[in-house]
Amino acid sequence: MASRVDVAVIGAGPAGLAAAVAARERGAERVVIIERAEQLGGLLPQCIHNGFGLLYFKRDMTGPEYEKAFIDMARSRGVEAMLEAMVIDLDAERGITAVSRRHGYMKIKPGSVVLAMGCRERARGALGIPGTRPAGVMTAGTCQRFVNIEGYMPGSRYVILGSGDIGMIMARRLTLEGAKVEAVVEIMPWPGGLIRNEVQCLHDFGIPLLLEHTVTFIHGEERVEGVTVAKVDAERRPVPGSDRFLPCDCLLLSAGLIPENELSCRAGVEIDPVTGGPVVDQNRQTSVPGVFAGGNVVQVHDLVDWVSWEAEAAGRSAAAYADKGRLKRADGVRVLPGKNIRYVVPQFISGKDDVTLHMRVTRPGLKATVKVGGVMWKRYRTVRPSEMVILEVKGQALREAGVKGELAVDCEIRGGD
Amino acid sequence: MSPRETVICIGCPLGCRVTAVTDRKGTVTALKGAECKQGQKHVLEELRNPVRTLTATVRTGDESFPLLPVRTSRPVLKVMLRPIMRETAKVKVKPPVKAGDIVIANVLKTGADLVATADWPAPGEGV
Amino acid sequence: MSALETEVLIVGAGVLGAATARELSRYKVDVTVVEKNVDVGWGITKANVGVVCQGRDTLEFRPEYHRTRLLWRALPLMEPLCRELDVPFKRVGAYLMIRDQVLKEKLDKLARRTESLGLGSDRYYPYPELKEREPFISPEIKGGLHDPEIAVVHPVYLTQALMENAVANGVRLMLETEVEGIEAGHTEFRVRTSRGEIRARYVINAAGEWVDRIAAMVNADDFVLFPIKGYVGVLDRNCAELAGSLLAVLPEEPGDMNIVVPTVEGNLLFGIQLQINRRHDRSTTDRMARKALENARRIIPEISEKDIINSFCGYLMFRNFEIGWHECEVAMSARVPRFINMTIGYPGVSASPGAALEVVEILEKDGLKLVPNPRFNPYRKDIPDFSMLSEKERKALIKKDPRYGHIVCRCETVTEGEIVEAIRRGATTLDGVKFRVRPGTGRCQGGFCGPRVARILARELGIPLTEVTKAGGASRQVPLRTKQLLEEGGGDG
Repeated sequence: MASRVDVAVIGAGPAGLAAAVAARERGAERVVIIERAEQLGGLLPQCIHNGFGLLYFKRDMTGPEYEKAFIDMARSRGVEAMLEAMVIDLDAERGITAVSRRHGYMKIKPGSVVLAMGCRERARGALGIPGTRPAGVMTAGTCQRFVNIEGYMPGSRYVILGSGDIGMIMARRLTLEGAKVEAVVEIMPWPGGLIRNEVQCLHDFGIPLLLEHTVTFIHGEERVEGVTVAKVDAERRPVPGSDRFLPCDCLLLSAGLIPENELSCRAGVEIDPVTGGPVVDQNRQTSVPGVFAGGNVVQVHDLVDWVSWEAEAAGRSAAAYADKGRLKRADGVRVLPGKNIRYVVPQFISGKDDVTLHMRVTRPGLKATVKVGGVMWKRYRTVRPSEMVILEVKGQALREAGVKGELAVDCEIRGGD
Repeated sequence: MSPRETVICIGCPLGCRVTAVTDRKGTVTALKGAECKQGQKHVLEELRNPVRTLTATVRTGDESFPLLPVRTSRPVLKVMLRPIMRETAKVKVKPPVKAGDIVIANVLKTGADLVATADWPAPGEGV
Repeated sequence: MSALETEVLIVGAGVLGAATARELSRYKVDVTVVEKNVDVGWGITKANVGVVCQGRDTLEFRPEYHRTRLLWRALPLMEPLCRELDVPFKRVGAYLMIRDQVLKEKLDKLARRTESLGLGSDRYYPYPELKEREPFISPEIKGGLHDPEIAVVHPVYLTQALMENAVANGVRLMLETEVEGIEAGHTEFRVRTSRGEIRARYVINAAGEWVDRIAAMVNADDFVLFPIKGYVGVLDRNCAELAGSLLAVLPEEPGDMNIVVPTVEGNLLFGIQLQINRRHDRSTTDRMARKALENARRIIPEISEKDIINSFCGYLMFRNFEIGWHECEVAMSARVPRFINMTIGYPGVSASPGAALEVVEILEKDGLKLVPNPRFNPYRKDIPDFSMLSEKERKALIKKDPRYGHIVCRCETVTEGEIVEAIRRGATTLDGVKFRVRPGTGRCQGGFCGPRVARILARELGIPLTEVTKAGGASRQVPLRTKQLLEEGGGDG
């Protein structure tokens, strides 16, 4: 690279774009996004549905519209981008190795780095679905790309395993495009995605949602000919005798997202085993100084608006780091997930400043109370594992409570769902 | 409409299951299960006049960018979703298109336009 | 259509057929290989753990067995062969382990036999010493006998390389050509295939899983095959440190085959959960998967379900010899002259270089003139593996061809250059590309690169994307265009 890069952002999805814009706004001179795909936007261009931006822009936008809004901002703020460029290594001193057709083999040593690689879908191998290995098994996101971007469809009759948001959205999309969706099969007793998607994507089109069911076998030699689905017991094991055959020519998988952290690991960034993403402090700084992270690479969000917000925090911090060559860790207090809480991000807070806690509960419930140590509590009429709980904690409250060392967050749940 | 119909309110993440009781004329006489006034309003609207924003694609004829994403400019009646989808298969857009450009005006007389949600061609690579 | 005439027809382009074709390409002999699949090495060769064994890991490999002799003959050939063909060969070594001290006697017996046969001297390591060498093994293990010679190869890469080299040396390869019938004449065979008739003086039956069916076409099936299905799980590369060698447990029950083995690519495989099964059914089952994982965790407790990125089933083919299960045959049929059956089944990969030599000897003995092929070139260069290159090599490669700077598969760091080269060398399907240069074999299993590889295939082959298949036949990945169903009247429901 010709001149010094202040902030390098890895990934040009909603997180990367927001981080880059925020870094420029915070004064970073040269901000470069490195993106593996052919265009900016990450998965936004293929998310042609609406429901984006309700919080961030106070408008109901589609994925491409949300993308365009951020690309316009990035352009006007003078963010640079390298496309079809793959970062193949990141070391503990922020050294980036990237390759691309156009730029060849590159070594970049930026002032700071923002990890914004997003997440990937769990594939068949990881789900361990027994059966044959025919064509017609793919993740919902891959199918979404084929149908919405490439202009091709993998089949005309579908079963969808997992009721994640992408799966439900694809159920509607495929139905509208003239295909038949036989069922969405969910192993848990509750849907994996948002309520609004369950209603508008499944109920609207009469697509059955089989809760506490799973696919136990894939049939077909060359192409998928059908799947066996069965009810599962409390241990999520198939109940013998409950199986039935559903004919289909495609099985889509929408059963979980995993933060994409291979680069983070190469740099030696500490990973939270629960979120699958880096352990971050309030400023979204990882355990490696000068390496920041935001968006789905940290935790899988359910609304893109929160991805943008989190990445902006990372981008601002990265700009500050690039400016001074250091940024004090905001790690005075470790936040620990307590009762009924699966995780809390950030894992470390300063204990002095205002902070927004993102968390997920382990089970759904009514009339829940989330308690942040002895500092504060908040009531929720309902909590669900599929919907992130977001809680603002005032610095003043933390200071007054004299929080030191560790801070546990618990959720008392009174009723079932 | 059946005398009792259950609707999941999507006004907020609470997702109340609201049961509406109707009389013979189809007038809603009671709503059970809604936690808030806003939800009641939403459910009544959903029963009387269910509307949705449709998002879809239309063809461009360009293999490097075969589909242009589109949406309805405002929500349309649920029953109109499939008829509008069939319309999307009939049109082919010509470049250049800007996000917000009308692809089909007043589609099937719903009062909503089908509008582009992306630029084509996309503005130059990089930013 | 006039019949194709050839001197030697090899039925099946698995590891045995390919090794035989390559061995014959040293001579001026007209050789044709027919393969019913769309690519080479996709029968029983494909679903294989790739262990190159010596036959000294079990007492059942008796020195008087043909199979054992074949293995001993093949072993010194494998490493130089892999070097000539530029395919990976990794001498990982093996520990044959026991969980019950009583079985130590069996290991001692094996070690003594290995020594007396002059194959080497295998050392026994009790648990504490074994743990120093393989730190993740279960404390349940009492100790293990170390065989330093065991190696691993990738059976499909080896088969592709053998076949590529054979073709470069003049062998004719016909893919998607299924043998439908064979008529034995006095001087030649008339072989009916899905692509027309082939006349051949010799037929070499290397049809693997279907070797009995092909033999039955000319009444040369004086044997019965017993297919045994085996399940194998694949672990993510981040588990590579869990085992540096092949870790095998000495069978405690008949039919046990519990191993954890590194691959040439740095993954770990575990299995092999066996089950007698009808043939051709390659489906994995929940029961086999659970058993295999359970058994693997008794070798390395840290192996976790969440690290499994893939699994597959293959077949071990056994033959009904009176003298024992562990026997095989590479021989001219007693009933049909000039018809050679290769029924090796297991371990076919290890035995393949030896078996190929035997076929050549049989042909020579029968009077086939073996004049050296002056143009024979034993060397073949592998497709560059970008992920394994040094910085300097990478720079040079990108400079030469910028497509090597375009990484298509992130998980396995596979470039467009490699994919294009795989297609140039004969890959016509997604699996064909995958089994040459690995895109889609990593963590995301093609989630990101799948559509991109399909596009490159369509472009390079000059076919529409709708015709790109996973593995030939009806396995089209995206058979429809978006909007097609709407136009055909769908969506009214």
